[in-house]
Amino acid sequence: MDRPLTVFRRHEEQLYLGAAGLVIAVAALLPLLVLCGQLVSSTAPASGPAATLASARIWLLLARSLGVAAAVTALALGVGVPLGFIFARTDAPGRWVAFALHAFPMFVPPFLLALGWFHWFGRQGLLGSETSSRALFSAGGLIAILVATFTPIVTSLAALALSAIDPALEEAARVVARPWRVATRISLGAIRPALALAALIVFALSLSELGVPTFLRVDLYPSAVFARLGGVDYAPGEAVALVLPLLGLALILLVAERRFVGARSFAVLGARAAERFTIPLGRWRVVGALAGLLAAVVGLAPLGALIGRAGLGGFSSVPAWMGGSLWNSLAEASLAASIMTALGIVVGRALARRRRAAAPLDALAMLAFVMPASVLGVGILATWNRSATAAIYGSLAIVVIGWTARYLIVSTRTIAIAVAQSPLHLEEAAAAVGSPFGRRLRRIVMPLHRRGIAAAWLLAFVFCLRDLETVVLFYPAGREPLTVRIFTLEANGPPAAVAALAALQIAVVAGVVAGAGVAQLAARTGPR
Amino acid sequence: MSVEISLQDVSLRIGQSEVIRGLSLTVAPGEVLALLGPSGSGKTTLLRLILGFVPPEAGSIRLGPDLVSADGRILRPPEERNLGIVFQDLALWPHLDVHGNLAFGLDARRVPAAERDRRIAEMLARVSLAGTERRYPGELSGGERQRVAIARALVLAPRALLVDEPLSNLDATLRRQLLELFRALLKERGMTAIFVTHDVREAALLSDRIALLERGRIVQSGTWNELRQKPGPLLAALLADLAWGAPS
Repeated sequence: MDRPLTVFRRHEEQLYLGAAGLVIAVAALLPLLVLCGQLVSSTAPASGPAATLASARIWLLLARSLGVAAAVTALALGVGVPLGFIFARTDAPGRWVAFALHAFPMFVPPFLLALGWFHWFGRQGLLGSETSSRALFSAGGLIAILVATFTPIVTSLAALALSAIDPALEEAARVVARPWRVATRISLGAIRPALALAALIVFALSLSELGVPTFLRVDLYPSAVFARLGGVDYAPGEAVALVLPLLGLALILLVAERRFVGARSFAVLGARAAERFTIPLGRWRVVGALAGLLAAVVGLAPLGALIGRAGLGGFSSVPAWMGGSLWNSLAEASLAASIMTALGIVVGRALARRRRAAAPLDALAMLAFVMPASVLGVGILATWNRSATAAIYGSLAIVVIGWTARYLIVSTRTIAIAVAQSPLHLEEAAAAVGSPFGRRLRRIVMPLHRRGIAAAWLLAFVFCLRDLETVVLFYPAGREPLTVRIFTLEANGPPAAVAALAALQIAVVAGVVAGAGVAQLAARTGPR
Repeated sequence: MSVEISLQDVSLRIGQSEVIRGLSLTVAPGEVLALLGPSGSGKTTLLRLILGFVPPEAGSIRLGPDLVSADGRILRPPEERNLGIVFQDLALWPHLDVHGNLAFGLDARRVPAAERDRRIAEMLARVSLAGTERRYPGELSGGERQRVAIARALVLAPRALLVDEPLSNLDATLRRQLLELFRALLKERGMTAIFVTHDVREAALLSDRIALLERGRIVQSGTWNELRQKPGPLLAALLADLAWGAPS
């Protein structure tokens, strides 16, 4: 009879996946199940979901939210795809610097950018007037700011995918067609899964966005949910009912992701990935450079305005207004990113190696990401806000659980893409010499993909740092992260201090991203 | 219409390494040349030079009377050379179906739709793939994918066909079938072709003439019968690699 240790080792991989699955289920699935349970149980006609959803205003809000998300997605694709192309495949001068500056806003909470634009175009802004203020505080202004914020997601995914195309696909086309035709018909066609993923992410983030519409006073669906949980319309039962249509939407988005993206996002770079051709822009190089410059200016302008508005006075008052919120942010984000990375190593690797059990875990993580943050937020409230779990609900743990649920997909997909670049034989060779799964993971998979794993941690960390819409619904009193602190101060705090705090938040993210870039560069050039 | 391919004193350096070294080579109209050599000998680079993806550092390349590349310059871009190419990994466009893969080049040349569809249907029938027009590369077997790649290259009636080891990952039976298909297609069209391989049997079966490439230089060339009478060191080494000997 096999000894217990032997049995454990034989099923070690399944046990690792099972443990990861349990954590993901508690973080992401349990809130949804509790939410569904509450929806089913609240059947009283006067106060149940049917009564709440009978209001025409609710459906109008939902339609408006969908319209805004669709417009932002379409415009972000319209701007981001050409920019991605210019940055990745042409000889436009200064394109890499422009790309870095353009991409930065995607790591910043969108409402801070809105605050920055307000200091440019608000009534008393640097370029402000009554007309510009009216334009800013409107659905058009909201869409413009969200497009400026989310376009870098499209640009980055398009540029990355264009860099990962097998050069032979384009060379086969270059034999019969001019570069422009190859670019539009072959290159862009081949990266459709990446563009579908970009569209999905932008749509989901736009639909979830709470900070910018609240700041610009544009009524949207997430604001209605938020108002019933923490605002003047306090009615938590109605909030639960309001997430019902959003749950349906989330499922539609998940199906779309499975249909149009799925495993196709795991592009494997060929050995010749560095040989792809660059399109010479010729006399259009100036136009390409100007487009890059404009994209960079749009990325940096809000930050400039925030720094200008804060002034010395604002920055000197930062310690008083900040409290412990920055440290809360850093501690909570570090812990959540570490948990997500550990889960990502197990699930992401299994996904890259096409393990059957990984697919439902990936789908669950994707669902938690594409569903509007208010659904997850309300679900977490319903699950953990009870006396038996007060210790968790009143501590940093609740923030870590929320972020882990929402952003787990970021780490799993990043690690899956990294692992998919290396052949399975490397792990099989270790298995053949008797190395059990855990050891293979520690000694082969993790060292081989340490850069991918570091990138996954960093991305998860930055996503947590920039989050407002998930955590604003359930952050523990006195333990709020910096984004929530700025959001709550924005309504009645001194504008200079708020601008300084916003600049500080952006500087922290910039520091983290720049530090990671330097570390990556050092790792490439240093001894191996 | 077939064309002569001529390279004169062509050299190319990539980084510190001289990949092609003063290479001269002429392939007559209608001739099938097998370019035989070990991995890293510069075979694929030579095709990329002829296709116009890289300019030669020195020397010149002509297609018929046209000077297409010379002394560090590409005088005619790839799309104006009218050459067909079958890549080692086939490079079928995954987002286009079989019809789309064949139609891409014809559309680029503004062939009218009716004429285009007729040529595609004829070509697919010729490679025994009629009825697969709406299938995507991912839905085809390995052998079918190879034939789509051949059809895609030939449907444009190129002046010459360049083939880069497309059979290297196939089993022996399928490889032989496709070699016979290649030979029949090239002969019936009288097409100039360069067939890159590291397999002596493929070279002997398909080509009119074999050129042996080593470290960027042609070290021996001739018909299979001429070469096997007097094999140089490279051919002897390649023959020795064949566990079961050379083709008769």
